[in-house]
Amino acid sequence: MLGFLSARQTGLEDPLRLRRAESTRSMLSGGSDGVIVLYDLENSSRQSYYTCKAVCSIGRDHPDVHRYSVETVQWYPHDTGMFTSSSFDKTLKVWDTNTLQTADVFNFEETVYSHHMSPVSTKHCLVAVGTRGPKVQLCDLKSGSCSHILQGHRQEILAVSWSPRYDYILATASADSRVKLWDVRRASGCLITLDQHNGKKSQAVESANTAHNGKVNGLCFTSDGLHLLTVGTDNRMRLWNSSNGENTLVNYGKVCNNSKKGLKFTVSCGCSSEFVFVPYGSTIAVYTVYLGEQITMLKGHYKTVDCCVFQSNFQELYSGSRDCNILAWVPSLYEPVPDDDETTTKSQLNPAFEDAWSSSDEEG
Amino acid sequence: MQSFSDSGGQTPPGAGEVCALRRRLIPTWPPAPLNTAHESTGVRALGGSQSAVGVGPGPADVLRVSASPPPLPTLTGLRDDKLTPSSSSPGLGGTPGESVRHCSAPEDPIFRFSSLHSYLFPGTIKSRDMSRKRHHLVPETFGVKRRRKRGLVESDPLRGEPGSARAAVSELMQLFPRGLFEDALPPIVLRSQVYSLVPDRTVADRQLKELQEQREIRIVQLGFDLDAHGIIFTEDYRTRVLKACDGRPYAGAVQKFLASVLPACGDLSFQQDQMTQTFGFRDSEITHLVNAGVLTVRDAGSWWLAVPGAGRFIKYFVKGRQAVLGMVRKSKYRELLLSELLGRRAPAVVRLGLTYHVHDLIGAQLVDCISTTSGTLLRLPET
Repeated sequence: MLGFLSARQTGLEDPLRLRRAESTRSMLSGGSDGVIVLYDLENSSRQSYYTCKAVCSIGRDHPDVHRYSVETVQWYPHDTGMFTSSSFDKTLKVWDTNTLQTADVFNFEETVYSHHMSPVSTKHCLVAVGTRGPKVQLCDLKSGSCSHILQGHRQEILAVSWSPRYDYILATASADSRVKLWDVRRASGCLITLDQHNGKKSQAVESANTAHNGKVNGLCFTSDGLHLLTVGTDNRMRLWNSSNGENTLVNYGKVCNNSKKGLKFTVSCGCSSEFVFVPYGSTIAVYTVYLGEQITMLKGHYKTVDCCVFQSNFQELYSGSRDCNILAWVPSLYEPVPDDDETTTKSQLNPAFEDAWSSSDEEG
Repeated sequence: MQSFSDSGGQTPPGAGEVCALRRRLIPTWPPAPLNTAHESTGVRALGGSQSAVGVGPGPADVLRVSASPPPLPTLTGLRDDKLTPSSSSPGLGGTPGESVRHCSAPEDPIFRFSSLHSYLFPGTIKSRDMSRKRHHLVPETFGVKRRRKRGLVESDPLRGEPGSARAAVSELMQLFPRGLFEDALPPIVLRSQVYSLVPDRTVADRQLKELQEQREIRIVQLGFDLDAHGIIFTEDYRTRVLKACDGRPYAGAVQKFLASVLPACGDLSFQQDQMTQTFGFRDSEITHLVNAGVLTVRDAGSWWLAVPGAGRFIKYFVKGRQAVLGMVRKSKYRELLLSELLGRRAPAVVRLGLTYHVHDLIGAQLVDCISTTSGTLLRLPET
């Protein structure tokens, strides 16, 4: 069963980037037209099919709206008073949610592909930014300027992610097929370059190590931060042990990936065996993280899915695609009710409910 | 004719299957063609008139007759090519937990059975239909799932258990056309072919990694695709390389390499400092190795292990793969039954054999493998 959120009133461009709030209710989405919309995710209608309302938006008429496509949006990790967004117009903007004004703007020389702020850190307010240049920039929100540059990659940086376990560990993925783990306090370069063949570790070797046989598009730490998932344009997804950089050799099969930019995928949090949700063409493929088994493909979008994000409080998955829709996928505990008249009596419990993802639909 | 089955979402072989000890009826059955470990409920017909159908009638009787832990009889004797459409293929959705899975379990020949069998059931060669009906009843009664026989286990009962990577590699090595290369090339098998036989890829990768660490196989980067790894038995590799470099100026360096580096380092690639410091190779010797075809340049100061003379193999392989894929592509609706594909005449470009290429296509997921009531269907993926 599918659910369609009426994504946005102006629904002309596809929502590219989603981010849910730590404090459960709101979701940010950024579109390829530069518009950013906030949604309220709470389902207060008590019906199984519902539409989430857009609370507010930064539309084309806003003076500070991004001029080109918004690539990444992220809530400030500690509360929803602030969020950051980065875009192809070479800026990273920091917004105040209540007034919807920009609090700060960071300008770069190249288009920005991705940015991330550490979800656990209380000691620093660094935002890691991956651009078309080979250097990873760390911008400090407190001082309002770029404080560091991390050198080591040779081509554009397509994804960056802070570890949810340690304050200072950052993973970056680049189009030169390499994924590097950094400790940002260290001056002398990256900690580990991931090697898909698990060869010998030595200084000279580092330059030849590749994590994938193509560009590395997406990075996601598992919720405990002990493992790292990477996807690449060689149609593979790999699971790495984040403490020693070893390839765990879990094989997920072919994970189609034709994206020229970053691919935002996500890992579940709070399930008994964690799942990874990866956009796979116009569907979303669901795999178990540690065994590599494909559980199902979620079909509902009409065009390529660009991003998905998991809300652990509601245990829901939200996905945005090029058909300008954002869908909410909820685990179905009961057989789907065909009529949407009234809440009829529930049918019997679907025996494999943890696998049967479905979504809710209603005009509301 | 081989039958393949869907390799998606299977439980790994040997996983918690409650079943039974299997009784193996007589050693004279035809060696199994390449069967995958699950899905299919087919069992092999025994050679000769002895259709093990005899076991069928009243397996319950057998239970009562034998005193010691009664082995539940295998319902052998029927070759059942009809694969039940499984709901567990990825992409078809469904609840994985409910599908009927046929796992293979290590099969130990517990009983050699014929004499006992004819004693108990004299003259009980039943008709095929009758026995098929009976066979269907028993699994439901006893919760036994029918298993496909693995002829391979007969040959190598001590090493690989059915469904293991090692068994798959041995089986696939039989497919390699040695005569085509005048025995100058060691038989090469691809990793994707192993995936088509061992359904759980993670398990296959880990087992191959173990074999690599035990130095039983070498994994070699085949040049045409960074993802395609060739698997060669170390012994084969060593003998062929020595033969190839016989009498050439680089023979000394190659022998030193085979003696010192190969046993010590099981990786796919070698680094400059490793070669010069740990193993004491000079630059000139490394150049000899590259000339001999044993090493291929990967990066500055880094080399892949290679097979000398593999260029011809790679050329045939790439062309053959495209040709077989083209056969599927040109068919109506871009799908072909596996049995039909294998029954067709291979185009002249396909030198390595249709089966060889089909294993590779299935394992590399270049075609989707769908179980139907008429057998396995190969379909080109939409993307």
